[in-house]
Amino acid sequence: MLIAFIVALLLLPQTPQTSSRTIAIDESLAAAAKLKVGDRVTLLARPGGEDFAVMTATPSGYSPGVAPAETVTVGAIVKRGADPSEVARGDFLVRMHLDQLQQISGYGDRVDRFAVAAKPSANIGRLLSEINDVAFGFRAYRSRDIAVETSRTFQVVSRFHRAIGLITIVASSIFLLCIMVLKVEERKRDIAALRLMGISRWSIVKSIIIEAAVVAILGSGLGVALGWVVSLVVNWHYQALYHTPLEFSIVTPEVIGVSVALSLVLGALAGILASLRLVRTPPLVLLGR
Amino acid sequence: MRLTLALAALVRHRARTLLAVIGVAVAAAMLLDMVMLATGMRESFRQLLLSRGFDIRLAPKGTLPFDTDATIPSVGAITTVLRSNPDIREISPVLGSSIHIQAAGRDVSGSVLGINPSVQGDYELLSGTDVTEPGVMVANDYLLGLVHARIGDTLSVATGYDPQTRSYSGQRKLKVTGRVRFIYGAAEQASAAVRRETLDSMESDARRDRASLFMIRVRPGADPDRVRDWIETYIPTVSAISIATAIAQVDQRLSYFRQLAVILGAVSLFVGFLLVTTLVTVSVNERTGEIAVMRAIGVSRDHIVQQIVAEGVAISVVGALLGLGLGLVTARYLNAILSAFPGLPTAIDFFLFQPQAAWSALGLLTLSGIGAGIYPAWRAASLPISETLRREAIA
Repeated sequence: MLIAFIVALLLLPQTPQTSSRTIAIDESLAAAAKLKVGDRVTLLARPGGEDFAVMTATPSGYSPGVAPAETVTVGAIVKRGADPSEVARGDFLVRMHLDQLQQISGYGDRVDRFAVAAKPSANIGRLLSEINDVAFGFRAYRSRDIAVETSRTFQVVSRFHRAIGLITIVASSIFLLCIMVLKVEERKRDIAALRLMGISRWSIVKSIIIEAAVVAILGSGLGVALGWVVSLVVNWHYQALYHTPLEFSIVTPEVIGVSVALSLVLGALAGILASLRLVRTPPLVLLGR
Repeated sequence: MRLTLALAALVRHRARTLLAVIGVAVAAAMLLDMVMLATGMRESFRQLLLSRGFDIRLAPKGTLPFDTDATIPSVGAITTVLRSNPDIREISPVLGSSIHIQAAGRDVSGSVLGINPSVQGDYELLSGTDVTEPGVMVANDYLLGLVHARIGDTLSVATGYDPQTRSYSGQRKLKVTGRVRFIYGAAEQASAAVRRETLDSMESDARRDRASLFMIRVRPGADPDRVRDWIETYIPTVSAISIATAIAQVDQRLSYFRQLAVILGAVSLFVGFLLVTTLVTVSVNERTGEIAVMRAIGVSRDHIVQQIVAEGVAISVVGALLGLGLGLVTARYLNAILSAFPGLPTAIDFFLFQPQAAWSALGLLTLSGIGAGIYPAWRAASLPISETLRREAIA
């Protein structure tokens, strides 16, 4: 509901001074409305403002009422918080005193919610039960439960990213296997010579696995560096696009660990599959005899 | 002849050709999905907006339809103004509100639309009759399931509920006359519709003669953008949104998915290109003697180039055709994931199949196949014949 009022906010040209109270506006609103600290604006809760007349070619007898308005001073321009639920909405935000908003909105002595900070030693579960047992007309929730509920959009996006990641892993595995097959086949004469010299099949397979693992580690190292750069670009682009400090892409040690481990396993598997084909073929056949 | 030789070269190394085709198929599937994602979402939304033939929507100034609780005052006066424009054919004011239904001793909340059934564009009647008279309602299956009601039942419906006193306001008995499907509704959204005057009578005085949205149909041949500009000039309390404007706003909100689609599509295309280039280059390196012999017996450079480019194109086309089928399956899976977005209308598809998308993916992969063959073909065509033959003989 708060957002509804903020969206409904209309900034009108200066009217005679009626108030000296200040508000804080976010930087995207300041940029869009070309406002700066010290400017005076008139706030209305209803979009369009009901004191606008309908300019009609055929007079309709429409006589609009006058909505309560308040003229205030822009006291501060603030950065937006990193709230995922607001990212794509592009709303403008205004911070004002509670009583001021209650007056403009006609809400009276009402609020949408209370935020309660408990002492560090408090048992939150018991506190919730106690509040809900005596509450009359409202209900208490843990902040983290509300966060789960309001981040459903991001859970969907996260599932989508995981699915895309899975497809990418399949594609990378096939690519890696293909490259390893080509690399090993390129050296079939060398492998045949090693076999004729008495080197065991297993030794050849091991050497190819080690080679595949080294390629995979080097590749994943390059990939991590590239991913880190891409992550910087992604954050820079989307933070500017959505006017938010929210981090869209984070390269964590866990992500690096999983990526390197995955490419190592895939590389080793590709090495095994590629080398087994060749070591099973008689050396003379490999030499084309 | 060229194609036969190209195919023979590919068949000679079945395992690696098969791997390359599978690799290209996965890349093609991803590319098709990304082309579908980049274009399908917008097309799906456009089809949804056009599905009922309304060209313009009016929302409270500065908002999108039903994006906030704000409403437009003086519906009667605004309707009179709109009717003065000869290009406007039909006007459908809609009031949205929340409702509370007492059922089996519990309170079920949902949303309700106040509409004029003769011009409404918000729902399709599935069974029963429309809200042809005051005192009746139609509802979607989700709401009927929640309150265990069916056509013919009478429900106690209220537009207000004070949790502190546990009392209802704007309460009225309404008979369910029909089952409907809300076109713009989400899957798990309990929704109902009544006549606008019925909802008006249930609302407080402050919300009388108001609408959340006007839907406007323009005369055939009229320019919706001109009508939109006219409305914004004469009725400054509203934002007039044409279909093009609405699509632009949705584009802006969902730009992330479009950009992701472009980036992943480009990466898929590049991976496919790289795979084919690598395979054909290795294949050419292995056949330098054979190519030198062909050149020595009088086969032209063009013939060699065309044969090698044909190898790249063959892998790309076969992989792309396999990938199109795979892409449709993965698109369905990915669409099912994104359909779970809270509040997303069930009619919206992120991955909408359009033949143009398939042709685009196929065309891009064929082009990349041609591109992938150019480098190895150039290398093969520029081999020094005698030098290569001598080297092969020594080897």
